[in-house]
Amino acid sequence: MTTKPSLRTGSHLLPGLAAVALFVVMAAAILQGTFGDPQGFGADAAITASIGYAMFNLDMGAIPGEGMLVAFIVIAVALDAALDGAILLAKREKDGSAVALLADGGRQVHDRIRGDADADADVDADGGDR
Amino acid sequence: MVPVQWYLLLAAAVFCIGLFGILTRQNALLFLMSVELMLNAANINLVAFSAYWGNVTGQTFSLFTMALAAAEVAVGIGIILVLYRNFDDIDVTLAKEMRW
Repeated sequence: MTTKPSLRTGSHLLPGLAAVALFVVMAAAILQGTFGDPQGFGADAAITASIGYAMFNLDMGAIPGEGMLVAFIVIAVALDAALDGAILLAKREKDGSAVALLADGGRQVHDRIRGDADADADVDADGGDR
Repeated sequence: MVPVQWYLLLAAAVFCIGLFGILTRQNALLFLMSVELMLNAANINLVAFSAYWGNVTGQTFSLFTMALAAAEVAVGIGIILVLYRNFDDIDVTLAKEMRW
């Protein structure tokens, strides 16, 4: 048997009214603004080639554009760091158990707030290594 | 050519749909999708003004934004994995403590 997703309606949608209000304000501002006719690139302009030249600071493109070599390097470093971060977060031991950033899901704090003294009995003084 | 106002209106709509998702949803995966919508709304603006000025800077920059979005999703999925391991759920409202 297949099921289909259903939209859950209720009071939790109320904060979304802020987004709707923002759209109304933005739409009013955009439609009241005056913009000239767009210049466009021309029918036979080599857009992709120009993007490639702009990306490496080469002043050879048919369409003008700023050099983006520094941004290219910065993004390359950011992607590398993100890849390393994702691997660090998803890392597992050889036996398949998870090791990274594993904790007790806040249960220790939760139990302490509730005043449940028994819950802390089996936890080490330093919080354990979970 | 399509006037630039319509592109801006489309971008505003996509951005507000993303914002709506962030404000009303609790699932971390839906959060990530909503953030992607907001980033793509910015991309629409960049490409629209690129055509408006006849300059490829906006289109080049939108490529970098896409790369940044990929990096964000990679880290986001990793965080969701850790969230699931710790809380057995990916409800973002469960993680209320900075440290536990």
